[in-house]
Amino acid sequence: MVKLRAKCLLLGDAAVGKSSLSHIFYNDGSLFQKNYSLTTGVELVMKCINIPETNDSVELYILDTAGKETLAEGCEKMWGEPSLLCLVFDLTSEQSFANCTCWMERVQAHCKGLRVPGVLVGNKSDLSARREVQASVAEEWAQSKGLEYHETSAKEMVNCDAPLLSLAQSFYSLYQEQREIMQNLGPG
Amino acid sequence: MIDSSGAHVVLASSSDENHPPENITDGNNKTFWMSTGMFPQEFIIRFPETTNISTVTMDSYNIKHLKIERNTSPNAANFEPVTQEEIEQTEGHLQLNSISLKGCRATHLRFIVTEGYDHFVSVHRISVKT
Repeated sequence: MVKLRAKCLLLGDAAVGKSSLSHIFYNDGSLFQKNYSLTTGVELVMKCINIPETNDSVELYILDTAGKETLAEGCEKMWGEPSLLCLVFDLTSEQSFANCTCWMERVQAHCKGLRVPGVLVGNKSDLSARREVQASVAEEWAQSKGLEYHETSAKEMVNCDAPLLSLAQSFYSLYQEQREIMQNLGPG
Repeated sequence: MIDSSGAHVVLASSSDENHPPENITDGNNKTFWMSTGMFPQEFIIRFPETTNISTVTMDSYNIKHLKIERNTSPNAANFEPVTQEEIEQTEGHLQLNSISLKGCRATHLRFIVTEGYDHFVSVHRISVKT
């Protein structure tokens, strides 16, 4: 049995639903915050994910950071070195999807050459009539950046676990890979 | 004299039960302690008595930046910095480090890994020259 620990950055434009998602992660989907409240700093949520068919787990330290541009800069200092990335956009806002490119560039500066597995999350899938970003387009962009794509509805609590499970599994794979290397090292 | 006998790890910031911190001081570089994610990571080694240490040798993997602190207290507290090292990356073989501590006196040595070349680092063997 092993418990891994990973720092996961939750990023994306303001009002795409990062905090709604992180609250659902935190209380296992029992609460959707109906009133919008702008995140002005960084909020930390811890979530433990069990890796299926093992006794192992990954503790995700999720940093929900302000998406609003004027506040994001100050928050960047608190990002540190991330282990994982969860990039969120609003399926009803083309602009929030376009800005994902900027978020990616920004986070890469913090990765210091480490491989940081990530997911792209299209949120607000319940608002299908107002959808501006097609799944195929988002999927293609995600693939080009090495991210796994998921669509969620924090409001309807649809599919919210999938991105976290995917992140935990990626981190677990990296751990297994390194452990394998460490077991077979030459003497120097 | 090379001696790691009697020295043992009293604290480690992470532990994988298949790769426990005891593997650091068992004298065997095939067994290792592995960190389980995020930095910094640290472990503290206690000597049976206060010892003058000239050199620490450490076999490791994926460590980028290491700080060493010491104390002469019977408790693992109140550490002061001794040295820090930037360690070169190796691929497929161990990082073999020989770190001079200039005969400093210590009851505990604290090793802090502040950065790695990967999310996970390992320490295979530590021994000290007195």
